[in-house]
Amino acid sequence: MSMTVTNPLRVGLRQERVVPPQCLVIFGASGDLTHRKLVPALFELFKQRRLPSEFAILGCARRPWTDEIFKTKMEEGLSSQIKESPKEWELFSQNLFYEPVDLQQPDHLVKLGERLEIIDKSRATHGNRTFYLSVSPKFYGSGCRALAAAGLLKDPKRSRVVIEKPFGRDFNSAQSLNSLVQGCAQESQIFRIDHYLGKETVQNILVLRFANTIFEPIWNRNYISSVQITSSETVGVEDRAGYYESSGALRDMVQNHLTQMLALTAMEPPGHFDPEAIRNEKAKVLQAAKLANEEKPWECCVRGQYSKGGSKDDPLLGYREEPGVNSNSTTETYVAMKLFIDNWRWQGVPFYVRTGKRLPKRLSEVVLTFREAPVHLFDAAGGCPTSNQLILRIQPNEGAEFSFEVKSPGSGMRSRPVNMEFSYDESFGEPSDEGYVRLLADAMLGDPTLFTRSDEVEAAWRLYTPLLEIIEDSPWELPVYQYESRTWGPTESDLLIGKDQLLWRRP
Amino acid sequence: MSPQLTLQTPLQLPPSEIPTYLDQLWSHDERGSKGANTFCLIIWQPAWIEQKLVKTGKISGPIVGNQRIDLIEAARKIVLEGDLPNCTSPFDFRVQSSIQSKDLIQNVEDLRGQHIDTSISNLQPRRLITIAPTIEKENSLETLVAAYCPLPEEGGGKTTCGDVVVLRGNKTAINDGLEIVETLVPDELPSWLWWNGRIDEAPEFLDTLALPNRRLIIDTALGEPKDCLNLLFQRIKSGQAVNDLNWLRLRGWRETLAMVFDPLQRRNALDNLEKIDIDIEGNQSVQGLFLAAWLADRLNWRLNSCISSEKEHIEVDFIRPDKKLVTVCLTSLPIGKPSINPGQIVGLRLIAKDKSKPKNDICVILASESGECMRLEAGGMARMELIEQVVPIQKSSLENDVARLLSSSRGNTSPLLASATPIAKEILNLVNQYI
Repeated sequence: MSMTVTNPLRVGLRQERVVPPQCLVIFGASGDLTHRKLVPALFELFKQRRLPSEFAILGCARRPWTDEIFKTKMEEGLSSQIKESPKEWELFSQNLFYEPVDLQQPDHLVKLGERLEIIDKSRATHGNRTFYLSVSPKFYGSGCRALAAAGLLKDPKRSRVVIEKPFGRDFNSAQSLNSLVQGCAQESQIFRIDHYLGKETVQNILVLRFANTIFEPIWNRNYISSVQITSSETVGVEDRAGYYESSGALRDMVQNHLTQMLALTAMEPPGHFDPEAIRNEKAKVLQAAKLANEEKPWECCVRGQYSKGGSKDDPLLGYREEPGVNSNSTTETYVAMKLFIDNWRWQGVPFYVRTGKRLPKRLSEVVLTFREAPVHLFDAAGGCPTSNQLILRIQPNEGAEFSFEVKSPGSGMRSRPVNMEFSYDESFGEPSDEGYVRLLADAMLGDPTLFTRSDEVEAAWRLYTPLLEIIEDSPWELPVYQYESRTWGPTESDLLIGKDQLLWRRP
Repeated sequence: MSPQLTLQTPLQLPPSEIPTYLDQLWSHDERGSKGANTFCLIIWQPAWIEQKLVKTGKISGPIVGNQRIDLIEAARKIVLEGDLPNCTSPFDFRVQSSIQSKDLIQNVEDLRGQHIDTSISNLQPRRLITIAPTIEKENSLETLVAAYCPLPEEGGGKTTCGDVVVLRGNKTAINDGLEIVETLVPDELPSWLWWNGRIDEAPEFLDTLALPNRRLIIDTALGEPKDCLNLLFQRIKSGQAVNDLNWLRLRGWRETLAMVFDPLQRRNALDNLEKIDIDIEGNQSVQGLFLAAWLADRLNWRLNSCISSEKEHIEVDFIRPDKKLVTVCLTSLPIGKPSINPGQIVGLRLIAKDKSKPKNDICVILASESGECMRLEAGGMARMELIEQVVPIQKSSLENDVARLLSSSRGNTSPLLASATPIAKEILNLVNQYI
């Protein structure tokens, strides 16, 4: 008999919260994100029976589409998922509607309000609305203003706004955007999305730390010697050159995703599992974080840019040769830096953060390296004993790994490192949801735990301000080093960590 | 967390005046609020045992309708003092009949419907309508109404107010008052009926209150198994959203069992199951039947025949997809201090044998305490890989379970319950035919 692939006893056991009656309004519905991420996530929620029957999705964009065209476009975008569940799609697609809206046109907003009233009546959505701004960041402020002016955000219990990253370009612009958005709606209505926080393994950092008694007592400067946070991509800039040229790795990855991982790893335990309690602790730890050398930021940060590489059969373009990229571009596609957190728990523990494109592997992980044993009683097979490491694998092969020394077989007493592994796939017998599934459901449920609050965003921008200022004002102080595609970044990044007699983990 | 009481003393009004009073109550609100935009919950709250224990002076009042510790202890004492088997659950209907009630204390404070458990008030129900039948035959209908605002313990100022309505009186009086219930249910909000009593105790009231579009919460541990499964089956078949607390309480067993088979190397054993033993407390078999039915549904087994049927033990077999037989035994155990919920599962044993690779044979034992593990270990398990787990006994209160349903399921019938119910019913029918 063939092996049962999924655990049939696991099916349907998850205790999931169901979204209340709701109309989800997606601005920028003709864009990529809608058919690549948002509607597939909503379809998944529907298949998991987590959407109520009183539900509607209203796509909005400037294109003069009709409900039918919108449905067809979504059908084209989701063809492989639909092939697997055609009956479910048939039912789900009855919830799809479209309204042509230009957020800059007040009369369009009036029409939108009327359409929402109609949907409320026909779909019994009780006036609960979530507005998802999947539009260019430059329209976040004006979009919120337009919604507020049309009276669509006036009920803080029934309406909320979801805003995609990037939230600002630096501390000042984030602060202005926050004050603009907060002028249109209460903070409790604003959901700043960071899809990394939707990942099961990122949330697991909290559970691992605060549901187990063995980790928290050693989760501090007394036992941990350093922390490495890595997010690497194998792909290049692809078709995002226009956006990427003005953002770079620091803005695109570090300020949001990596900083959120840092906050969850380093934050103090909250008093209870409450959105505000968690976000308070995250904000506090980010406020305590600083570059290892704020006076001379170039000494604790390395920027890089991928050059050509690959093989004869599969040559890879350098960043400056990519379509849409300036041939003299100084935009970084790689960044590595050293940070400290100025508090009792982490004083003196370096946090090394790195991210880059066109690296050898696609992965995200947090690695906590523990202090060495005070006395080396045994010979180590590898010459010197390896420090214990706890590796939290965010992606791929989500899970955790702990490496520790054991006796090497034989008559002597030599030690060697071994790994103890936990894998989500193996342990739970069913794949984790995409980040957007969790985050969309949470936004519609009004649960802000996994969304970034204004003070967190500002603290994250403030942390990198010295670097951003140098990049703007005196970029020669923070040069962009070239690295060959599909290597682990420029040599200077190895030197950065090498100054502390450490190495980057080679996963 | 302590229960919430209504902030104002409930006002006693004639039934006909209640709808108008409630409309005025909300339209006079300065901000034009119409109260919480959540749900309406109707509760059938007989609390027969509590009423009798309070009115016979065995516990102190007031009557509140919640499962409190002194009530449970007093009911257990009745089991021991009366002529009831030790394994009788403290909320078994026989406990009620055993309480001597010649002289009932009059003027006992009855706060049913006004004493709202925090787990429910935290959900900010828009309207709670409590139907509180009394044990006295001569009580006429009293209708009470009050507004309430749950006070959030953590602050935060998210308070949204609702109201409570109580209909109290003997069954005849309640019957007369039931007609106002529908006028009190806000059309625009989802409505739930929590039938917090035996399923078979007042079928006419249940029919009147459990309208097809209303989300129903029942407890199939309370009542004759046949009646409970029939009602559940009929209601699910009719398309009504039904939530069963007895099914909900099974989740620890289902979760632990799924966990046992999560590792890939054990997954094959599910295809080779040969024998299932389910031990339950007392004689209420629905939860045990649910577990057997859930396994049969998930593993595509087809019910074949009844092998034996005695008072304490039933045995049926199923046909696996590979045409081989699986035997399922359900045994009632005389537990000394049973759970407050009748018929709880206390032990489960699964035996899987792989004829081609005997070293793959496994025996899985799940039990609510280690003594039960040892009982199930008997019978030559040593040859097989033995996996044992103690399933933690749920500490969740009845009100917490209801709150969990109100907040999580939005009323939809669990698809797993919908699939398991016909199989559980079929097993019971087969067993009854065998007798």
